[in-house]
Amino acid sequence: MVPLRYNVRSLLVRKVTTFATAFGIALVVFVFAAALMLGAGVDKALSSSGRDDRAIIMRDGSDAELSSRVEGNHLGLIRDQPGVRKSDGASVVGEIVVVVTAELADGSGGTSNVLVRGTEREGLAFKADGASEATAFRPEIKIISGSAPRPGTTDVIVGRAIAGRFKGIGKGQSFDLRRNRPLHVVGVFDAGGSSYESEVWGDLDTIRDSLGRKGMVSSVRVQLEDKEAFPAFRTALEGNKELGVKVQRESDYYKKQSEATAGFLSGLGMAIAIMCALAAMLGAAITMNGAVAHRTREIGTLRALGFSRLAILTSFVFEALLLSLIGGAIGLLCVMGLTLVSFPVMNFQTFSEIVIRFIATPEIIVSSLIFSLVMGLVGGLVPAIRAARISPVEAMRG
Amino acid sequence: MNLATYARRNLWRRKGRTILTILAVAVAVLIFAVIRTVVSAWNAGADQAASDRLATRHKVSITMQLPLNYSTQLREVPGIEASTWATWFGSKDPKERTPFFAGFAADHNTWFEVMDEMQVEPAALEEWKRTPNGAILGDVLARTLEVGVGDKLMITSDIYDGDWEFKVVGIYKPLRRTVDRNSMVFRWDYLNNDPRAEFAHDQIGWMMSRITDSTKSADVSRAIDKIFDEREDQTVTMSERAFQLSFLGAFAAVLTAFDLVSLVILLIMTLILANTIAMSVRERTHEYGILRAVGFRPGHILGFILGESVLLALIGGVVGVLLTLALINGVMGPYIEENMAGFFPYFQAPVVVMLQALGAAVLLGLVAGLFPAYRASSRKVTDALRRID
Repeated sequence: MVPLRYNVRSLLVRKVTTFATAFGIALVVFVFAAALMLGAGVDKALSSSGRDDRAIIMRDGSDAELSSRVEGNHLGLIRDQPGVRKSDGASVVGEIVVVVTAELADGSGGTSNVLVRGTEREGLAFKADGASEATAFRPEIKIISGSAPRPGTTDVIVGRAIAGRFKGIGKGQSFDLRRNRPLHVVGVFDAGGSSYESEVWGDLDTIRDSLGRKGMVSSVRVQLEDKEAFPAFRTALEGNKELGVKVQRESDYYKKQSEATAGFLSGLGMAIAIMCALAAMLGAAITMNGAVAHRTREIGTLRALGFSRLAILTSFVFEALLLSLIGGAIGLLCVMGLTLVSFPVMNFQTFSEIVIRFIATPEIIVSSLIFSLVMGLVGGLVPAIRAARISPVEAMRG
Repeated sequence: MNLATYARRNLWRRKGRTILTILAVAVAVLIFAVIRTVVSAWNAGADQAASDRLATRHKVSITMQLPLNYSTQLREVPGIEASTWATWFGSKDPKERTPFFAGFAADHNTWFEVMDEMQVEPAALEEWKRTPNGAILGDVLARTLEVGVGDKLMITSDIYDGDWEFKVVGIYKPLRRTVDRNSMVFRWDYLNNDPRAEFAHDQIGWMMSRITDSTKSADVSRAIDKIFDEREDQTVTMSERAFQLSFLGAFAAVLTAFDLVSLVILLIMTLILANTIAMSVRERTHEYGILRAVGFRPGHILGFILGESVLLALIGGVVGVLLTLALINGVMGPYIEENMAGFFPYFQAPVVVMLQALGAAVLLGLVAGLFPAYRASSRKVTDALRRID
């Protein structure tokens, strides 16, 4: 086998060419990884909103809370079902959601849709409010600035991802859901990076009254004894045809939303990255072709020294792979900067905006590197075959 | 022998490399055009949407509804020629032949009068007015759902309970490219009279009005919103396109990202071009030394190299534009227009985009050639001649 050092040094000698090609590959890997990181960000935000020991109950036929309606007087019946957590603390919480049009605070005049959630007293009892972690309905919620909303008032809190992003929806500001009935933003909350952080939360009755939907909720969230309790709970509720409801694990509900949105976004990004890869592969092919042409005499000498065709082939394929791997590494290094950036995307199921962070996972890093290697392999294979077919006699004759 | 001939002959000395480079530039131009076409097609709807039509919806939310009597009060606003209303139905195909289509309940007396780019045969319109559960579909949707005029059609809804049975009474013809051919309209009174819609009785989703003078659209919009300003449910009136976009507001950020990626692909193209030129120049260092020795000036060398670089980019650019015409305007465009009319009613690479792509290719060809050309032209004759590889 030709020593690998030979290839490393060959790349180093032709600095400009190596850099230009590697940087081209780096850019493609950047786009590729960014698309995957965007998808992962959406997935993280949505999947951490749902837990598998909590259930969400909606009207049968509705895909999202936004279009669902459940009679408020069903809540008592739901509470009596098997599997509902019986210990201290809240177990059944009715909620209403609506999306409101909000103007961006950056002065661009653009608007977006923000999801406003009204939840029952128990749904608003967070750790900060004195409830213990074991009994709080959503222990993942923490008030990070200001105060928790007082139940029964027009207090609302805003998720940290969108705090200050829209006019009227920052701490200390107020916005109208209905004419002359302003909701006052009293605090900002953290929800562990979940999509709740792109929502505004307030009191169920206040928001329901503003919408004129007395007695109705959009969905009911239920804390189960444990995740094994779900099937029995579901069978019991869905068996009651009069209720006309659909019961899902919270985690499944959000997984479906994530598939629609993350799938679309990362699919779109990947399609573009693959197109760009075509250009970068041609770039790699040009470089490797040049390398082979340039080193014809060297290759002839190597062959004369007794290196086999296979050794030459392997050597040039290795060089192409090394080149693309350098590019991939540069691209990954740059893309890591995106993890500091937040990006608004649209949740296709609710028409509302969720602000996410780009997230790098080990899978994304590995697949980006594989992607760069594939570019190198495809670009470098034909030149490597050409190199292997060089006849030593003719090559050394010049 | 002039500069162009020299550049052309030089290019052809390394056929393989030249062809690969031209291909790479062409691919980059194609990708650039695809991305720019997506962005421009998204925005183009605004230019294509009827400018004499205004949409009025609830001020607070796209999902909140307005009282029915707003529709009569709206007509009192001076400057409004005709108006109609509709309610979103959240329709779903129970057989899941299509993941999404627009379905809405509209006022059967006025809808097609205002939305006049959806053309319906007079006989079908008469039939619609006689048939409470009559529905009129776009041709693409009718094909997807495998129904024709006279057929029964079963639809479910994301919002209203149970199955809804309709009778197809007509197919509307699109008179403008921006018309969504994948939608369905049925009678608003049919929905309103159904007990399953009791919770939204006498409520409407949005109103559409056609105005007599499109230059006064801002004034009329304000006048409409003013009537309802003192009511519980305030309104906001906007252009039809702005109304459509209000459902997809957060999509704008994705488009900005698209714009950035279109610059990335240009950068990749420049790198590839620069690499090719640098390689050629390096191989010919000795030759350039000879040219200098026989009396060519550094400026000549610069010209030769830049000429070659620009020519290469130009050929690649032209091939790319031809590919764009064939692939986007020939294959992708019609497919997207037919299947994603809701997002992209019109999907063709505009001439501006193709000129941009070609211009960028030539300009970046020049940029890519600058560094190698400068290096080669400023090299000392003796140095150049000494190099033999």
